Amino acid sequence: MTDATPLVRFSQVRKSYGAIEAVRGIDLDIDRGEFVAIMGPSGCGKTTTLRMLAGLETPTDGTITIDGRVTNSLPAHERDTPLVWQSLALFPFLNVAQNVEFGLKMRDVPRAERQAKVALWLERLGLEGFEHRRIDQLSGGQKQRVALARSLITEPEMLLLDEPLSALDAHLVVRMQGVLTRLQKELGITFVYVTHSQSEAFAMSDRVVIMGHGEIVQIGRPREIFRAPRNRFVAEFVGHNNILSGTVTQGEIDVDGVRLPLAGVSDGPAEIVVAADRMEIYGSPPSSPALKAAFVSEEFAGAGVICYFEGPGDLELRAQVPEARLAELAPEPGKPFWLAWAADSPHVLTHREGRT
Amino acid sequence: MRLPILFFRLYLLALFCFVFAPIVTSTVFSFNSDRFPTMPLGHFTTQWYQTAFARPEVWEAFRNSVTVALSAATLSTALGFATAYTDFRFGFRFKSAYLALALLPPTIPLVIMGLAMLAWLGQLGLSGSITGIIIAHTVMAAPFAMAICRMRLQQMDASLEAAAWNLGASPWRAMRVVVVPFCLPAVISAFCLTAAVSFDEFIVAWFVSGLNKTVPVMILEILQGNVDPQINAIGTVVFVTSITLVVAAQLLLLGKTAR
Repeated sequence: MTDATPLVRFSQVRKSYGAIEAVRGIDLDIDRGEFVAIMGPSGCGKTTTLRMLAGLETPTDGTITIDGRVTNSLPAHERDTPLVWQSLALFPFLNVAQNVEFGLKMRDVPRAERQAKVALWLERLGLEGFEHRRIDQLSGGQKQRVALARSLITEPEMLLLDEPLSALDAHLVVRMQGVLTRLQKELGITFVYVTHSQSEAFAMSDRVVIMGHGEIVQIGRPREIFRAPRNRFVAEFVGHNNILSGTVTQGEIDVDGVRLPLAGVSDGPAEIVVAADRMEIYGSPPSSPALKAAFVSEEFAGAGVICYFEGPGDLELRAQVPEARLAELAPEPGKPFWLAWAADSPHVLTHREGRT
Repeated sequence: MRLPILFFRLYLLALFCFVFAPIVTSTVFSFNSDRFPTMPLGHFTTQWYQTAFARPEVWEAFRNSVTVALSAATLSTALGFATAYTDFRFGFRFKSAYLALALLPPTIPLVIMGLAMLAWLGQLGLSGSITGIIIAHTVMAAPFAMAICRMRLQQMDASLEAAAWNLGASPWRAMRVVVVPFCLPAVISAFCLTAAVSFDEFIVAWFVSGLNKTVPVMILEILQGNVDPQINAIGTVVFVTSITLVVAAQLLLLGKTAR
């Protein structure tokens, strides 16, 4: 196999359970050494997609090719596609070392070699000395690393991960993200990571695949998806976005009677996205046009605070500000503010030429 | 608040006394030297045990009972586990009917069961044989084994088995190295319990046993002849065997669920 062919190719893959269509004809190539995140709301078909790759589900239609070989109905145990489960699925009646060596044992690897590999992988994941611990004597983060070691010990070409961090405390999630990205780089293998958390997907992956209602909605690098969502679904799902519609005339968009700057778009009705961190908040009416909105609530989110507002016509608006700025603004529910943005900030979702 | 608790404790105590009094009485009289079970007691003796176990037909009956209990326990545990696993792994139409059928035997009146077994085993030419009793007891005990295995399987993460496949175990191997080890306490417990069910069982065994008597059937035959303290001795041995099996089953189950 040359490196030109993708490691995995989904072509027109469908999966239905009776009348319910979980996956509706997806096309997706995954390259060697890539970290791909499949992201979407629950029930979007992302886990089904992953399970088909692992051979735990058989596609109803279409083909899945792994390494140039059609693998639609290859049984799970004949594939080398280890999966890190959401529940981790560690074997409770086996100790740490026995869990980790499981894959090798199933491949009838001799005992001495198994022990050497177990020692290597436990060390790699910082689990030295835990060989004989029972699974229920481990912390959440330790279990996570045992699950990783168990999946990676057979040195597969690709690792599948099904929301593996969803059960962890927030501070552990960030640390495990570091462990995962480091491992992926060191091993140079493909990671296919299913999650509903955009912070996980965007922090780790090379490419993000957004799924909704059993279809792939957008594929792109995290930044592309974040700054240029393809449609309303992605814009609503990803990040803290403001979605506004109005009519464009002469480089300005009319949103509920307020004319706001919008560069490089010809006249006609349009739907635009403005990321929360591109919004400016003013405590009093600025000299330039701005949307008047009542403060609703605030939410601390990493780099700053997301403030929620209610704009004209029940429009939900959000703006991200640094914490110090929030103190300056002293928001209270119902207090009016003015929101605006720079002319080059909006991303256009839909646009029709011509006047209405 | 305190008074009702005290009341319930006393009530529970009374209940246990009521349940176990006859058994304790029988055990006490099995060590009593008097010919008839009357008060006051005579002196302590093991002569009833000696005379009872000096009789070859008592040994014969125990041999039959143990053979039947071990065979029926093995078969019904295997059947019960398989039935419970089918319920756990697969979804199919008429599943509730399948479960109802699998759990039906204990609801059938024993006399009816005995008669039906007699007629059916007669057709097969197995009435009066040890095999016949084994078949009858397997039918009666399998639902208990199934219930116990099902309880354990419900505690199993469904992805555990799939994780084994994912790591290269064929379905049969995954069954051997993951599902069975996970269920092992329940399987042993089911074995003990079904052995106890079979060892104690009288009515159906009486219908189908013929000349190959099990212990309970033999006890009745001795009893029909005369009242003899040897029965107390045999009964005590039967009771101790059964209670040991049942307690072992319970300990295994509780030990695993508590974790």
